[in-house]
Amino acid sequence: MTPAWILDILAALMLVVAAVSAARLVVARPWRPGSVFTDTDVAHLLMAIAMAGMLASSLTTLPNNAWIAIFGVLTAWFGYRVLRDASTSGVRALAGGHCAPHLVHCGAMVYMFAAIAAPAAGGGMSGMGASSGGSGMQTLRYPTLAFVFALILVAYTIWDLDQLSGRRYSMATARVSPAVVPVAAVPAMAGADGATATLSAAQATQGSAVSSAPSGAVAAEHVVPGEPGSGNGSAIRGFLLSPAITVGCRIAMGATMAFMLLIMI
Amino acid sequence: MSQVAVTGGRTAWRGRLGTEVQPAVARLDARRALQLVLAAIWLLDAVLQYQSFMFTKAFGQMLGSTAAGNPSLVARPITWDATLVEHHLVLLNTIFATIQLLLGLGIAFRPTVRLALAASIAWSLGVWWFGEGLGGVLNGAASPLNGAPGAVIIYALLAVLLWPADRQTPAPFTAARAVGAQVARALWLVLWLSLAYFALTPANRAPQALNGMIAGMESGQPGWLSAIDRGAAALVANQGLAASIVLAVALVIIAVGVYLPAPAAKATLALAIVVAILIWVVGEAFGAILAGGATDPNSGPLLVLLALTYWPVTAMTAPVPPADAAAATAEGSAV
Repeated sequence: MTPAWILDILAALMLVVAAVSAARLVVARPWRPGSVFTDTDVAHLLMAIAMAGMLASSLTTLPNNAWIAIFGVLTAWFGYRVLRDASTSGVRALAGGHCAPHLVHCGAMVYMFAAIAAPAAGGGMSGMGASSGGSGMQTLRYPTLAFVFALILVAYTIWDLDQLSGRRYSMATARVSPAVVPVAAVPAMAGADGATATLSAAQATQGSAVSSAPSGAVAAEHVVPGEPGSGNGSAIRGFLLSPAITVGCRIAMGATMAFMLLIMI
Repeated sequence: MSQVAVTGGRTAWRGRLGTEVQPAVARLDARRALQLVLAAIWLLDAVLQYQSFMFTKAFGQMLGSTAAGNPSLVARPITWDATLVEHHLVLLNTIFATIQLLLGLGIAFRPTVRLALAASIAWSLGVWWFGEGLGGVLNGAASPLNGAPGAVIIYALLAVLLWPADRQTPAPFTAARAVGAQVARALWLVLWLSLAYFALTPANRAPQALNGMIAGMESGQPGWLSAIDRGAAALVANQGLAASIVLAVALVIIAVGVYLPAPAAKATLALAIVVAILIWVVGEAFGAILAGGATDPNSGPLLVLLALTYWPVTAMTAPVPPADAAAATAEGSAV
């Protein structure tokens, strides 16, 4: 069977992804007015925790059915968002948008938890390396579906890596200029509110301005360097909230998920 | 890249949900797209190499079995390698899988595409010898239906054809950009004519040869794929010679197709894609991935990818404006 240390390394990687996602959620301050609800980070956090539990039995947290329910909801949410993106961007939403990969990720999680052979006792996932008393791997029902999911995940992982290296995603959050910026420049935003939003210089310096990050995963609170509130903290926050970090997490999870699917066929 | 929304209150909250900027997708030309498919296949290979089966003695035995029937000059290093792998199974297989992982990621990551493609050529040649016994070319076991002339050699061929350089501009098809149209066509001709030859070898034209080969793939497959294999095996039962001739004729037509005018070339390339898909589904059962224990998806998807590299380029890409091309080069994305 696949050596336990490989599974442990991947579980550790997932914990890192979970930690980064949690940190992003904290520094984005989604509870504050003027910040952004980062659904992708929530999805990353939950997926990373669930996958770590699948890879290492000691990290198991919730029963399978609970995870199925959670990822079912997330699948529905991202499905809704993909449909909405598709209505404005057409099929480009599937390749160029960032919701489609999350939809596939969540769908694959639902499939994995639903199709995996049930543990002998208890409701929780026993870990991939710990099934059958450690003598073998757990397997998935409907292996064709696992193969299809794995192919799509591999494709998105490669695509993300190409786009990451093609400078689609920046390692820094967008610099907010304290000027009037028409939302019409942001099609999705225009579609949502249908109005022009403006950013005043005062709001920018007070840190209440929201910069919508290019990946769309987060929008970072931005403090203009040299003005009150800027410094190392802002730099770290900017780095954490950069779109490249989101995409990096997605690449790590996509590759790991494809690995899990294929070794359980 | 700076887009700003001032938010606050219920409307703002509603606006924040799923209202992100969709940035422009980094420019992809046909060659880059094909490179990414190659990268995806390498990544798939890597993941398959991490499967449980590969960490068992069976993997070493599988490598050793490819020595059978080969000249001793070829077979002895294979046997030595297989023994080495059996003795250091976990370490070596992890290294193998990781190398393939790095190749896939390296091709996908634009700054390292040249390095990864070059490394993939060297790695492919090594695996072709030590892992596939030269694809059965020398021992009579090669068949178009079982991945001849060795799936991994097609990786090397693709790496050469998709090399990010432009010798011929404008090129009639993507594969001609790096090596020129004449060399690219010659490589295509040799590959597909060799497949036609293998289809007609005595081992493959025997009455039950194709039937046995296809039926042999049925074991361990999902029901629907087993049914396809059973049906296909029944179709060619005792028809080995006729089926081999039909297959060989199709392969010869494909081989010479790239020398024909564009419309006819497209038709033969479409035929190549259909044949490759048939080989992948019927003959290779998706590389036996669904049965477990596969090291790669076998030659089917690679042949499809290869055919796409020969597709007349005007049908695949729009010309890149010089200014855009210069900009792309400047940022290191001209791959």
